[in-house]
Amino acid sequence: MTVAETANAQDRNASEDDLAQRHLRVFRFKRGDDAARYDSFDVPAGEPETVLEALRWIQLHRDPSLALRHSCLHASCGTCGLRVNGRETLACVTRLDDLFGTITVEPLANLPVVNDLVVDMQPFVERFPSTHPIVRDSEFLPQANPPDGVDAYERFEDCIECGICLSACPVAATDDTYVGPAALAYAQRLLEEPRGVDREAILAWADGDNAAWRCHAAFECTEACPSNVRPAQRIMALRRELRAR
Amino acid sequence: MEVPRAAGREEAAAGSRSTTWRWTALSGVALLVLVTVHMLANHLVVEQVGGLRTYRQVLEYIGNPVIFVIESLFLIVVTAHAMLGLRSVLLDFGLSPATKHVLDRGLVALGVITVAYGVVLIGVLASRA
Amino acid sequence: MSDRVDDHPGSGGPSSDHDLEAIRAARGVAGPVQRKGIGPVAWFDVRRRGAGHLAFSLNRITGLGLVFYLYLHLAVLSMLLGGASSWSSFLRVATLPAFLGLDVLLIFGLLVHGLNGLRVALVGSGYAPDRQKALYWSLMVFGGILLLGAAIHIVGSA
Repeated sequence: MTVAETANAQDRNASEDDLAQRHLRVFRFKRGDDAARYDSFDVPAGEPETVLEALRWIQLHRDPSLALRHSCLHASCGTCGLRVNGRETLACVTRLDDLFGTITVEPLANLPVVNDLVVDMQPFVERFPSTHPIVRDSEFLPQANPPDGVDAYERFEDCIECGICLSACPVAATDDTYVGPAALAYAQRLLEEPRGVDREAILAWADGDNAAWRCHAAFECTEACPSNVRPAQRIMALRRELRAR
Repeated sequence: MEVPRAAGREEAAAGSRSTTWRWTALSGVALLVLVTVHMLANHLVVEQVGGLRTYRQVLEYIGNPVIFVIESLFLIVVTAHAMLGLRSVLLDFGLSPATKHVLDRGLVALGVITVAYGVVLIGVLASRA
Repeated sequence: MSDRVDDHPGSGGPSSDHDLEAIRAARGVAGPVQRKGIGPVAWFDVRRRGAGHLAFSLNRITGLGLVFYLYLHLAVLSMLLGGASSWSSFLRVATLPAFLGLDVLLIFGLLVHGLNGLRVALVGSGYAPDRQKALYWSLMVFGGILLLGAAIHIVGSA
């Protein structure tokens, strides 16, 4: 079947299930618009299972101009970070069945919107300390056989840099100069597993005006993080190191 | 619309930022004790409605030199904690370095004036005891 | 965002320098930054947020309230300078049930700010960050008990 034939077949199925629908309210903004707006869409219940699938269904059947980002489809890349009903989440693993009523989909907060649900991640990336290696050795599976002399592998790099923690942070909500949970958690990981990193430079960075001491222990970043980074706990561990300095 | 650049690049940390946080935490812990002492010694022991002392009872209370010292200490610590807390809240608006400088000076001035006024006030009252 | 624009002949790209400039200008304009509320409203919107955000919001509200109370208290104490009659006039108002209720609110603010502040001081120094939720709720329960005792004492004295 061609793409059009598939779409038409899906449309016929959709019309048969008109009574079973999910209502989505989606944030829209295109460059040049005076203001953002919300568009409403009805997607068939049961057919798209996740928020991401629902958005892709909307792109395919209702509005091909809807812009969104996604990649891996299994919570590994962090690209599809959104706010669903006001809460930060990865769209690819957020099931529609777990949501009730009208589903409001918005881009991540505290980052400039590029297009609809796509935000500019540049300000997020720029918050990270520049004195860090761009490429690091990757983590290994727990069940992997370590070589002789190595008891076990330990995973250090859970962060998928989705930006969800920055969106959830109440300090970042009003202060764009605060480096944010992801950058601070990253700095703490560098101290935990330095591998040639200049510890003093990282500590000096973390001790700056807009870094570790700006956190107010709301722990919202840890609540929102989809990848078990626990940024708030890492910020507190970073502070322990700074106090001992 | 320009999004202000975050401080992700190396910046010379002129003095440890942990100092203000430490003083906020320490003054807060001290206040847990001082507020409790103030509430118990000033209000709980009094029979009046709401624990509110009469004029004579206030003078008698503040005329005690030990109480005078404790209440003055309470005032200093609570003012310091208040100024540090206000600073922390205002910093969350993402102020420029120049504004932060003005803010710091303003809060120090406000704190000094508050403590000075308060100590003079209870000093005058103590002298009437 | 890259500024690179593919303008090779036949690629379907921009056909003039003016088009290139317009595209570059459009790419350079940042879109709106979505916030959870206008300005500090985001600090206090605890809908669908965790206990930590509630703690942060309450700490902020009570902190600002207590700063206001500090100066209110100094102003009230200044009435003592007017002598016994001036102070008695104040007491007549301050012992009204509505004002006693405000005293209970003050105790609430002190307890919430003080006990959560203890959590912030401990956790913020790196002690027991993984137990911060349990610490918060147990301190709030303890504070609730103290508040009940204080309320009974204040209201009972009326």
